[in-house]
Amino acid sequence: MTDSVDDKTGSNGTSDRRADGGRQAASEAGRRPADEGTGGRDDGPRSAGLVDLTLAVLKREYLIFVRYPADAVGGIVVSLLFFALLFYGGRAFAGQALTDSIEGLVVGYFLWTLSVGAYSSVANDIGSEVQWGTLERHFMTPFGFAPVAFAKGVAKVVRSFLLSGITLAAMLVITDTTLQVPVVTVVVVAGLSILSVLGLGFAAGGLSVLYKRIGSWLGLLQFGFPVLVAAPAFELGWTRFLPLAQGSSLLQRAMVEGTRVWEFPPAELATLVGVAVVYVAGGYAVFHYTTRRARRLGVLGDY
Amino acid sequence: MNACTTDPGSVIPELLESGSAIFSMSSQRERDRARSDNAADPDTARAGGSVQEAAAPAITVEGLRKQFGDGADAVTAVDDISFRVEPGSVVGLLGPNGAGKTTTIKCLLGMIVPDAGSVSVAGVDVLANPRAAYRHVDAMLEGARNDYWRLTVRENLRYFATIGGVKPDDVAGRHDTLLNQLDLAAEADTAVRDLSRGMKQKVSLASVLATDADVVFLDEPTLGLDVESSLTLRRELRRIVDERGLTALVTSHDMDVIEDVCDRVIIVNDGRVVADDAVDSLLGGLDAQGIRVASPDLEGAPLRAVRDQFEVREVRHQGDHTSIEVTTGSDGFYELVALLRAHDVTVSSVDTIESDLESAFLEVTRE
Repeated sequence: MTDSVDDKTGSNGTSDRRADGGRQAASEAGRRPADEGTGGRDDGPRSAGLVDLTLAVLKREYLIFVRYPADAVGGIVVSLLFFALLFYGGRAFAGQALTDSIEGLVVGYFLWTLSVGAYSSVANDIGSEVQWGTLERHFMTPFGFAPVAFAKGVAKVVRSFLLSGITLAAMLVITDTTLQVPVVTVVVVAGLSILSVLGLGFAAGGLSVLYKRIGSWLGLLQFGFPVLVAAPAFELGWTRFLPLAQGSSLLQRAMVEGTRVWEFPPAELATLVGVAVVYVAGGYAVFHYTTRRARRLGVLGDY
Repeated sequence: MNACTTDPGSVIPELLESGSAIFSMSSQRERDRARSDNAADPDTARAGGSVQEAAAPAITVEGLRKQFGDGADAVTAVDDISFRVEPGSVVGLLGPNGAGKTTTIKCLLGMIVPDAGSVSVAGVDVLANPRAAYRHVDAMLEGARNDYWRLTVRENLRYFATIGGVKPDDVAGRHDTLLNQLDLAAEADTAVRDLSRGMKQKVSLASVLATDADVVFLDEPTLGLDVESSLTLRRELRRIVDERGLTALVTSHDMDVIEDVCDRVIIVNDGRVVADDAVDSLLGGLDAQGIRVASPDLEGAPLRAVRDQFEVREVRHQGDHTSIEVTTGSDGFYELVALLRAHDVTVSSVDTIESDLESAFLEVTRE
């Protein structure tokens, strides 16, 4: 596992390439001409840093997003159809009761689409990368797999925010509702909320690397998200330590009541951050363990 | 063995007239080989130059072992494999299916954790310090697309250069060179999914060479390519490897690929190294050139006469025909033909048999 080595090297993956003995030996052997692309420089190409890595991953996500919009548009349409069914069906049956709680429903649905987008894209992405043979190349990187996986996770979160933002706007139009959208507060609270889901996505992706063909079972997990999103409607209690629950509570207050992030009690924010960190770390630990096990069993690149 | 078959019929007079033509067929391979060698820089193409000998090994494998499963179901995929690969050389890793090639390569890349042994690339222990090792390594694995089909060719090169740890702008010139060498320049801005199978394979190779890796692992680089694409790819691969001074470990089931591209061959069987030698040495160690003659008259006295005068490797009866395989060169060919004529043998076909890597491979793995 690449990341197990990160600890041993203590390197950030961007240190001077010439420091390695092997490369030195190669240079001494006169085998490495100056790179053609460097205009004859004899010190070779510069090392890419974490910023370059993140930008490359984000750019890839962006290019696929704009070049193949059908997937994204399809997701938004399906999501809105489901919401419309929920809204008009609920109004027909529950009438005023639903109208009174429509703001909470919209915020909850927004968070649900956000979390499903992040979870499924991370979990499915890992499975797809295994099939394409690109996952192994992301392991064989001097950055170590952890930064690469995190950068890919960030890209998925950004994509989910864009799609869910569009869905949110459409929901407000459909329901003729007004919500406050304090951008910084929404991004911070929703972002931290779905980090915990991202952790679940890493765990699911890791399990699919090890056990293969369990993607559809892991996909069922996302149907548990509405329960977590709805948890604040009841007494939060210990459920605040589950993914999404605390974030859902804070997001409701931010978007319905207009509470800003700095106005939340520190303990509540600390819970939000703590849950995000624990689930991301836990998810990555599962991913780390399952991929290490897959390497022992020789099934890392199998599908 | 390669066999060049002539038309059946009364071929003896024609053969006597143009006997040397048969042997010119076998020398065709030598000419091809010479062309292939000339296409690559002879100073660097064949390992063993004094400069290369002075450098530390690019790949060192010591006592590698890997067993899958436990108890009665246990399978030892790699059993005490050790070898070294000198910088700038291209080494073929051959073996029958299930011999342990892919497991070995994946152990070298840290994709499979071995039970015992050590692997270092460019002097860096891959298992203890993979991140440092990965600065030197990239790989094209069998059956893998290896790149993103929704991105264009150039976008793939830039992306994987970054993942490989170099700023893509700094290797943009190298990418242009690669695209030209692999005949991909015109498709640089085309999404990979829109390219043909052969072009996709080239993009896979290009994306591996797009990084700053100086050791590359290529598992079946010409898999699924037609003859022309395979020839182009292996020629360009050898050229690029030589120009950039790369070290390559190549596996392929296509012996011609290995023979054309590699300096040295390591043959594994049942998880062990059973041969490790320069391609030329392996070819030189084979049985001498031979001739295969088929005839309905090759039995009794004529067959005994041939056996008395020549080393007969094999006699095979197929229907009313007998086929014999005789070890001899061009001089012996004329004597054989004269002997057959003296016994009124009507020859239905004559083949020349030349040594090639496939023969060496079969010989070694059968032992």
